[in-house]
Amino acid sequence: MNKKKTALFLVCLFVVSIGLTGCAGNSQPAAAAGGDTIKVGWMGSLTGDQAVWGQCELNTVKMLFEEINAKGGVLGKKLEVIGYDTKGDPQEAVNVAKRLTGQDKVVAILGPNASGNAIPIAPVLEQAKVADIATVATNPKVTVLDGKVKPFNYRVCFIDPYQGAVAAGYAADVLKAKNAAILYDVGDDYSQGLTQFFEEYFVKKGGTVVVKEGFKSGDVDFRPQLSKIKAANPDVIFMPYFFKEVALSANQARELGITATLMGGDGWPSEQLISMAKDAVNGSYFVNHLDYDDPEVQDFKTRYKTKYSKDVELNGYLVHDAVLMLEDALKRAGEANPEKIAQALETTDIKGITGKIKIGKDTHNPEGKDAAIIKIVDGKYVFQQKFASQ
Amino acid sequence: MNVFSKKFYGMRLPAVLRTGASHCRELLASSHSGKERKRMTQFFQQLINGLSIGSVYALMAVGYSLVYSIMNFSNFAHGGVIMFGAYFGFFFLTLFRFLFPVAFIASAVCTAVLALVIERVAYKPLRERKAPFLYFIISAMGASIFLENLVIAIPAIGPTFRTYPEIFNKQPFKIGELAIGKLDTMMFVVSAICLILLIYIIDHTKIGKAIQATSYNIKASALMGVNTDFIIVAIFLMGGFLAGIAGVLFGMKYTVYPQIGAITIKSFIAAVFGGLGSLPGAVVGSVLLGIIETFTSGYLSSQYRDLIAFALLITVLVVRPMGLMGKVTEDKA
Amino acid sequence: MNNEYIIGILTLAGINLMTVLGLSLLTGFTGLFSFGHAGFMAIGGYTAAMMTVKFHWPFIPALLVGGLAAALASALIGKVTLNLKGDYFCIATLGFGEAIRLVLDNVQYFGGARGWPGIPYYTNIWNVLGINIVAVIVLANLIRSRHGRNMIAIREEELASQIVGIDVFKYKMTSLMISAGYAGIAGGLMGHYMTFLQPKMFSLAKSTELTIIVIFGGLGSISGSVLGALVLTSLPEILRAFYEWRLVFYGLAVIFIMISRPEGLMGGYELTPSSMKKLYRNLTSGRRDKLQGEGGGK
Repeated sequence: MNKKKTALFLVCLFVVSIGLTGCAGNSQPAAAAGGDTIKVGWMGSLTGDQAVWGQCELNTVKMLFEEINAKGGVLGKKLEVIGYDTKGDPQEAVNVAKRLTGQDKVVAILGPNASGNAIPIAPVLEQAKVADIATVATNPKVTVLDGKVKPFNYRVCFIDPYQGAVAAGYAADVLKAKNAAILYDVGDDYSQGLTQFFEEYFVKKGGTVVVKEGFKSGDVDFRPQLSKIKAANPDVIFMPYFFKEVALSANQARELGITATLMGGDGWPSEQLISMAKDAVNGSYFVNHLDYDDPEVQDFKTRYKTKYSKDVELNGYLVHDAVLMLEDALKRAGEANPEKIAQALETTDIKGITGKIKIGKDTHNPEGKDAAIIKIVDGKYVFQQKFASQ
Repeated sequence: MNVFSKKFYGMRLPAVLRTGASHCRELLASSHSGKERKRMTQFFQQLINGLSIGSVYALMAVGYSLVYSIMNFSNFAHGGVIMFGAYFGFFFLTLFRFLFPVAFIASAVCTAVLALVIERVAYKPLRERKAPFLYFIISAMGASIFLENLVIAIPAIGPTFRTYPEIFNKQPFKIGELAIGKLDTMMFVVSAICLILLIYIIDHTKIGKAIQATSYNIKASALMGVNTDFIIVAIFLMGGFLAGIAGVLFGMKYTVYPQIGAITIKSFIAAVFGGLGSLPGAVVGSVLLGIIETFTSGYLSSQYRDLIAFALLITVLVVRPMGLMGKVTEDKA
Repeated sequence: MNNEYIIGILTLAGINLMTVLGLSLLTGFTGLFSFGHAGFMAIGGYTAAMMTVKFHWPFIPALLVGGLAAALASALIGKVTLNLKGDYFCIATLGFGEAIRLVLDNVQYFGGARGWPGIPYYTNIWNVLGINIVAVIVLANLIRSRHGRNMIAIREEELASQIVGIDVFKYKMTSLMISAGYAGIAGGLMGHYMTFLQPKMFSLAKSTELTIIVIFGGLGSISGSVLGALVLTSLPEILRAFYEWRLVFYGLAVIFIMISRPEGLMGGYELTPSSMKKLYRNLTSGRRDKLQGEGGGK
C-alpha cells in the first residue's frame, strides 16, 4: 500500500512538473523583442549520422553571434542562439520547431540541414509566423509545394534539380562519359531528387543510364547492387548520398574491382570521407556549394579552426551566410519582429562567402548561385571549375 | 533427436567444399558464351557476397541461440553487446595501440564480461522471481536502449561513426573475374574457426555436456547436480565472446557506430529460421539468410531485401515455428 | 501562446494513449504481448490520410476507416498467428510490424520511404481528448462485461479457460482486432498532427515504446495506461536539457521497473471514483488503523 502511495505521489509530481516547465517558460520576457537580447533558434542534427555537420553549424552560429555581439550586436541588442537537436528525425524536427516558436519565442530559425526535416516544419512556421532559413536543405519542396511558395521557408543553398543537372552536365561535357550508373538511397528525398535530375539531364545530353540501383539509409553492404553495376560497365557511377555510405560503397566498389570514375553531390565532403575511403575516392568528382580554397573564405576558415581546433565542414560556410542573411533582414526590418523579418527576407540581396545570395520572391531560393566542381586528389579537395547548368 | 546433432558438420563439409570448388573452376574455365560466362560470374560473385554476410550473421546468431536454448527467451540486448565489442576493438586498436590479434582477443574478453554483467543486472533478478519470459524481453529491450544511448551520450565517444585503421588493404583476391576481399576471407575463416571450436566444446567437454543437459530441462539438470547458475554464466560468457568477435569483424568491415545493434535483428531472424535453440541451425540459418538476401538484392531489387527477411521470419513461424533444426516444445495439456 | 508547446505535448500523449489503450486490452487484459502495434498505427494512419487527401473525406469518418483497415489487417494476421505459442506470437507480431513498415517503404503511392508531406492539419487537443474519452468509456465497459472477464481469464490461465469452455481463439481475435482498431485511429491522429507520414515513424522502436508504456502503467489497469502514456510521453521533453542522457536513463528505468516492480505503476488497480474515495479515507484516517491491520497479517 505504501508503494502505491509513493507511486501515485511521484506521478502527481510529474504532472505538476510538466505544468511548472510550462510556466517557467512563460516567466521569460514576453516578447523576444523586449529586453536586451534577440533570440534566434537553431535546429539540426546534433546526434545521428549527420551529427558532425550539425555540430559544426551550431558552433559556427555561436562563433558568429559572439563576433557580432562584440561589435555591438544588431539593432543595439545582442544575439542569442537557442539550439536543439533534431536527431535527424522529422518528428523531432516538428517538436523542436514547436518548442522554439511556442516556448522560446525566437524571431527566426536557422537550419535544419536536412530537407527531410525542413519540409514537415512548414505548418508550424506558418502558424507561429516565424521564418526559417534552411542551410543545406536542397529539396525543392522545402520552399515550394504544388507551385506555391511557402511564406515562411527560405534557404541559402541551391536546389537538387540544379545539382543533379550540374553533375550530369559535367559528366557529359567535361568527363565525356557516355554510360552512367546510379546508386542512390531510396529513403532519402535528397538522393532521389539528385538522381531524378541527373538522369534527366544526362539523357538529354545524349548519354545512357545503364543501371540504376537503390539501397536504404542505414545499409552497410552494397555489394549486391555494386556487382550488378560492375557487370554493366559504366564510365561513371553517380553516388548522390552522404559521406558515410559513400565511403562504404566506394570501398566496396574498389574491392569488387570496379574502376569507373565516381561522382557525387554536396553530401560528400567531410573529413570522414577522406579518413575512411581515401584511396577509393581518389580521382572522384563532386558538386559543391563553394571552393574551399577560395580566398574569400580563408578568413572564416582560420577563425573557426582557431576557436574550435577542428576543420570547418560544408555546413559551416552555409550557416555563415544564413546568419548574414538574417542579420541583413533584421537591419532592414528595423525591429526584432518575426513577421517583419520574414517579409524582409523576401528581398534579400547580399554577397555571402558562398556566393551571391539574391532571394527570388516566387521561390525563396537564392537565384543563379554558382556550383563548384571539386576533384578529390590524394585526400585533398582540388577545385576544378565553376559550372552552371543550362 | 539430439539437437546438437552432428549431421551438418563432421565429414560431409570438406567433401562438399571440394566438389563445390572444382565445379566452380570448371564452370568458369569452360567455353560458354560470353553472356553465359558473365551470368555465371555474377551468380558466383553474389554467392560469395552472401556467404560473407552470412558468416557475420552466424557469429551473432549463435549467441542468440545459446541463450535461448538455456533460458528460453530472446536476448535483445545481444545487439548492444555486439556494438560494444566493435567499440572495444576500435579503442584497443587506436587508443592503446595493441597489436591486432591482441586487440581482437581483448575486445572479445571485455565483451564477454559485459554480457555477463548484463545477465547479472537485468536477468538474474527476474530468474529469481520466476518471472514470465516476456518480462525478460522487456528488460532486454531496456538494456539494449541503455547500451546504445550510453555510447552516444558519453562525450568522448559520441554519435559519430569511427573507422578501424586499415589492417587489410582493399585489393581483393581474384579468381578470374570473381573478387573476394581479403577482409571477407578473414571474416569467414575466423567465424568458421570460432564456430567449430564452440561446437567442439559443446560436444566433447564436460561443461558442454552440462550445457546440453540444461538446455533440455533446467530443473532436472539442477537435480542431477549441475550447477545451473554456473552454466548460465558460462553461456553468457561464451555468447559474449562470440559477440565481441562479431563486433570487431563488423566494425572492420562496416565502421563502428552506435546503431550496429539494429543489424542484429537479422541474426535474430536467422536464428529463428535455423531453429531457436539449435547451434548448427543458427549457423545454417544465417548462411542461408545471407545468401537469400544477397540474391534478392542482386536479382530482384535491393528494396525488397529486408522485406524478404521478415517475410521469411513470418513464414517460418507460421509453417514451422521450430525452424529448420530447432527444439520442438509442446504444451503439456 | 506559450501553451502551444504544452498543448503539443499533451496532444502527442493523447495520440500515444489511444494506441496504448488498445494495447492495454491486448496485453494487460488478455495477456498477449505485441511488438508490432506500430504497424497497425501505420496502416490506420496511411489509410486515414488517403481518405482525407485523395478522396477529400471529413476527418472523423476518415479516422474510422483507418481504424477499420487496421482491424481488418489484424484479423488476417491474427488468423495466422494467434494459434502460436506465447513467445512465438510475440516474434510474429514483431515480424509483421516490420514487414508492414517495409512494404510501406516501397509503395510510392504513399510516398514510399521519403514520406508523405502535405496531410491536412486536422488533429488538435480537443478531438484527441474527445476521442480518448470515448475510447476509455468503451474500453471500461468492455472490461467489466462478460467478454472482458473472459479475456482476463485467458490471461490468467489459458489452458484452464479453454477447458471451462471459453472460446479462446475468438476472444483473442476480438481483443486483437479492437486493439488494432484503436491503434489505427491513433495512427490517423498522428498523421494529421504531423501533417507528414513516414514509414520509419512506425518502427520496432515505436512498438517497443508502446509496450513499455503499458507495462509501466501496470498491466490490467486502464488508469495505469493513461498515467503511463502521459508520463512517458512528456518525460523526454521535460528532460530535454539532458537530451543525450535521457534515453540512457530511460533504458535503465525500464530494467529497473522490470526487476523491482514489474506490475507497473498501478499494479492492476484502477483509479475509479470509488477507489479514490477509499484511498482518501485511508490517507486521512491516520496511520493507526493501517498499522494494526498490517501488524496482524504479516
